[in-house]
Amino acid sequence: MPGDRLRRILAELSDGETMWPAARLCAVGPQITGMKGAGVMLMSDDLPRGSLCSSDEVSQLIEELQYTLGEGPCVDAYQRDTIVSEPDLADPQTRRWFAFTPPVLQAGVRAVFGFPLRVGTVRLGALDLYRDRPGELSSDQHADALVLAEVTARWVLDAQAGAPSGVVAEELEASADFHFAVHNAAGIVSVQEGISVTDALIRLRAFAYSHDRLLDDVAQDVIARRLRLG
Amino acid sequence: MTREADVVRSLVEMADTLVDDYDVVDLLTGLTDRCVTLLGVSAAGVMLASPSGSLGLVASSSEAMRLLELFELQEQEGPCLDAFRSGGRVDQEDLRAGSGRWPLFSAAAVRAGFQSAVALPLRLREVTLGALNLLSTTRSPIGEADVIVARGFADLAALSILQHRASAEAQRLNEQLSAALTSRIVIEQAKGVISERAGIDLTEAFARLRGYARNANLPLTDVARAAVDGTLDPRAWTSARG
Repeated sequence: MPGDRLRRILAELSDGETMWPAARLCAVGPQITGMKGAGVMLMSDDLPRGSLCSSDEVSQLIEELQYTLGEGPCVDAYQRDTIVSEPDLADPQTRRWFAFTPPVLQAGVRAVFGFPLRVGTVRLGALDLYRDRPGELSSDQHADALVLAEVTARWVLDAQAGAPSGVVAEELEASADFHFAVHNAAGIVSVQEGISVTDALIRLRAFAYSHDRLLDDVAQDVIARRLRLG
Repeated sequence: MTREADVVRSLVEMADTLVDDYDVVDLLTGLTDRCVTLLGVSAAGVMLASPSGSLGLVASSSEAMRLLELFELQEQEGPCLDAFRSGGRVDQEDLRAGSGRWPLFSAAAVRAGFQSAVALPLRLREVTLGALNLLSTTRSPIGEADVIVARGFADLAALSILQHRASAEAQRLNEQLSAALTSRIVIEQAKGVISERAGIDLTEAFARLRGYARNANLPLTDVARAAVDGTLDPRAWTSARG
């Protein structure tokens, strides 16, 4: 019964409490879905906005690489509004993410999956799951991940429902990493180079990509004036 | 085509209209038209409750029906109101001017040529959203099979309306979150811009940005956007303090 699955997953998440922090979605996510790690990416206007949570360092890397590169399982799941399944990243036949795949393989990821976060027709981002060995999801894991994605999407909207208009909900602000440093750096670079902030962000992304670095690390160097693009 | 085929096709067509951005009024107008085409009734109408709980007319199969339902709302008596208030089916009743359960409504209905009425609530579990009115120009009883079909139409309509409302609320919250995040991002960009222009750190840049917005009595987001666009007065970050 679908209702039983939802009840079981909610019981694991809530642990008897009526409210739980976002971190719990990712902390319990791997156990619920039988995966190695889980992360949640919030997106809007076709772009990653930030990571709501991640279960471990590898999941965090998966999130940050997607934010840096603008490609990966969450980006595809959100943009195409469909479940993304890469059961073997090492298979040369299925090299779908040119920049994302090599560093995650190196970090020990073999299979990744993306599930859109949606409520009705509203899309909020995506849940990503990874595993250190290849293989498809079983139909049970698939169903568990779908329910987890649904619960996560509702969690985000419920959190925002409590916030005044024009303000990001406190629970989201506290849990999520919206990469504000990157936007600080974009402001700095726009002045240094005499370009728009949009172009500055592109320059920062290009620099991070061509130097095999994460966007946040590059941003920190720009803010500390250790690095000047151009 | 057999009657079952007609009914099934109608249900499928109604389900087909439940796409991303469908119109509730279109859905319900289709429902009233189908009731007239497929059931042994002469006219059908749907009323929906507003958030405050008062009923409003949403769809009618004919102009005569529309006027009669408006009359029902105005006089606050009639089968639709009873079905909505009780949350249950209002069995077929012969209409006689000036008597019965709804003397005023019956008089108006008879004047419009109707002789009997049935009403069903639009409901999902405990939530009653409105009601469906079915009127007939004869006193011959509406068949139980027809009532079951009408019930099916009403249930599907109720379900789709509830989902539509939940989806609209989700949309509103998502847009609010997205707009709030965009404002935050513009403020962070502006901190970077001012920090570089004035040669100060981000904390100090924010203090000056906020101080200027307060002194000028402008929203912080507007000031931040001007800083990012390069249209903000340079005195904003050279002199103003938070």
